[in-house]
Amino acid sequence: MNTKSPIQGKYKYGFHKPENYVFKSKKGLDEEVVKSISAHKNEPAWMTERRLMAHMIFGKKKMPMWGADLSTINFDDIFYYIKPTEKGVSRWEDLPPEIRDTYDKIGIPEAEKKFLSGVSAQYESEVVYKSIQSALSKKGVIFLDMDSALREYPEIVRQYFGTVIPSGDNKFSALNTSVWSGGSFVYVPKGVHVDLPLQAYFRINAANMGQFERTLIIAEEGSYVHYVEGCTAPIYTTDSLHSAVVEIVVKKGARVRYTTIQNWSNNVYNLVTKRARVEEEGTMEWVDGNLGSKITMKYPSVYLMGRKARGEVLSIAYAGANQHQDAGGKAVHYASETTSQIISKSISRAGGRTSYRGLVEVFKGAKNCRSKVVCDALILDERSRSDTYPTMKINEHQTQIEHEATVSKIGDEQLFYLQSRGVTKAQAESMIVNGFIEPIVKELPLEYAVEMNRLIQLQMEGSVG
Amino acid sequence: MNTLTISHLYAGVSGKEILHGVDITVKAGEVHAVMGPNGSGKSTLAQVLLGHPAYETYKRKGKTSKIFLGSKNIIPLPTEDRANMGLFLAFQAPVAIPGVTVMNLLRAAYEARHESKGGKKPKSVQNPVLARRFQVGGMPIGEFTDLVKSHAKILRITDDMLRRGIHDGFSGGEKKKIEMLQALVLPHTFAVFDEIDTGLDVDALRTVSKGIALLRKQGVGVIIITHYQRILRYVKPDVVHVLVAGRVVDRGDATLARRIEAKGYEKYLG
Repeated sequence: MNTKSPIQGKYKYGFHKPENYVFKSKKGLDEEVVKSISAHKNEPAWMTERRLMAHMIFGKKKMPMWGADLSTINFDDIFYYIKPTEKGVSRWEDLPPEIRDTYDKIGIPEAEKKFLSGVSAQYESEVVYKSIQSALSKKGVIFLDMDSALREYPEIVRQYFGTVIPSGDNKFSALNTSVWSGGSFVYVPKGVHVDLPLQAYFRINAANMGQFERTLIIAEEGSYVHYVEGCTAPIYTTDSLHSAVVEIVVKKGARVRYTTIQNWSNNVYNLVTKRARVEEEGTMEWVDGNLGSKITMKYPSVYLMGRKARGEVLSIAYAGANQHQDAGGKAVHYASETTSQIISKSISRAGGRTSYRGLVEVFKGAKNCRSKVVCDALILDERSRSDTYPTMKINEHQTQIEHEATVSKIGDEQLFYLQSRGVTKAQAESMIVNGFIEPIVKELPLEYAVEMNRLIQLQMEGSVG
Repeated sequence: MNTLTISHLYAGVSGKEILHGVDITVKAGEVHAVMGPNGSGKSTLAQVLLGHPAYETYKRKGKTSKIFLGSKNIIPLPTEDRANMGLFLAFQAPVAIPGVTVMNLLRAAYEARHESKGGKKPKSVQNPVLARRFQVGGMPIGEFTDLVKSHAKILRITDDMLRRGIHDGFSGGEKKKIEMLQALVLPHTFAVFDEIDTGLDVDALRTVSKGIALLRKQGVGVIIITHYQRILRYVKPDVVHVLVAGRVVDRGDATLARRIEAKGYEKYLG
């Protein structure tokens, strides 16, 4: 096949955006850089303090001793804060042809393409965004980028910021806390149901795709919101480290669903901490798809704090050549009658590696909890690899735990069978892979589901040998 | 493309020759039976026709092995091209493919045939959610579904089976029916049935036979590969080939099948 897919490690790193930033911190990280970021944004003193404290913790924390190989990250060779000019200035034509090609093949509209590729910061659906925004504010829902939220709603931000994931949680949460920029802030008042999924890319903001974005979602009692971030189109970035923090507070009887599809270019370390605190009878659902990046370490977590709280993690990981997806989920049961479910599907191909890493923990006194973990791996060739690292810490006898794991390979006989029906080998592979992830894909918003399937197809068609 | 010509076919697996020069010619609308005892190379013949990658063909006596669809030698072609040129194989023991539903497979295969004939490629046919928006092989998806269901009904295949992963947890009889369903839905000019009759009860055997009769009526050339002549009671073959130890040792009309039923293959094994 001569169909080139940009998700094959063929990005041209030589591509760069013209250097006309409003503000850019120097390379590397020290107190000065942290202070200048905070000062540049005119942040309140407490946030500057928070950042500096986190910076200190970051310096003391060791790199994780488990998971993927992070030894090649050079923290001194990174710009920690770049504020781009208001308008995108590079031309669509300047993008690597593979990127344009993929956008075309996924079939996303022209305007969206330009926005996603960073060519245009003025996404043409600004109008759409504004009308959504006004509908939301009538209900009292706040949907802003995090920097604006800190300016406009400093009290709410201060009340919750860092309460679910403290700076000291891990080295990368400390890093994020010290240099965060962008990300989303969502506040849903008591009893309010937000009917349409809130989509991050409707926010007209270049900071949207930041390196160290910080997202905070608060769902008050009995409310509901579905937040969708990312997109299946490859996100082209010259930044090599993406380290986000997502904190979610699900109050009594509320329900939050958080859907992510990420497809970073293959030079990116994607190290994300995502956690939700779920109170009594609340429900948290993570739907997490990871396709791109060089290394991903991401384990969306649910901390079930109140009786009958429920948490679900659905995770898809795809690792192609030179990729390691270390993904999974965590469910921590603090209260009685809490339930959790982690379903992970991973695909490795062309020498890629996937790992499922998961934790189910039940604290003493949390009675009658139930948890179910299913991890299925599909390995497409001999060079690829998949491992599972499930951890269970159960400190209460009255607990019901199920764990299922399968590893399957696409067999030659399966391929021959499908080919004998007239489809090519690449198509046959993508049919099998799409069938494998279907249970999770059907949970995605429609357009994402379609793009996801297309993308898997592209991956297979672009296969080398 | 109204003849399938197997000519001077020497084939085997990793250097081990199994077929030692097979010649069979099937015309459109004819039903041929290839009969033989176990291990005679019947299934090898079926796999080689579709180009299974584990099998190889050999040059013997200065001539290469050839399989013609019409005037085109298909030996150099990949499996999917052979399929799209109109060759169909109903597998003896088809593998299960979890997640790929019967309906999805039919749709993808139908579309592949349509495209190979220069039809327009739709945006996507594999997403069940969106598929309804698109056409399959130039026909609206609803019409295609009706086509599948009408054949499924004759074969007593339930809607539930169409929605399941192909052959995933299907019984022996169900597998055969699903193979037959594909033979009926996907357009082709020659169909090979590898032991379609094994493991079928009398009712299912009748149903499957009806399918073969229908194909014959449509002008499809059929090769029935079988050990016994059971199915040949329901479908009268035009030609019977007896394959023993990789060679066609006898040929005749339907009466040959009956003789074998009575006396077995002993005569040829001597």
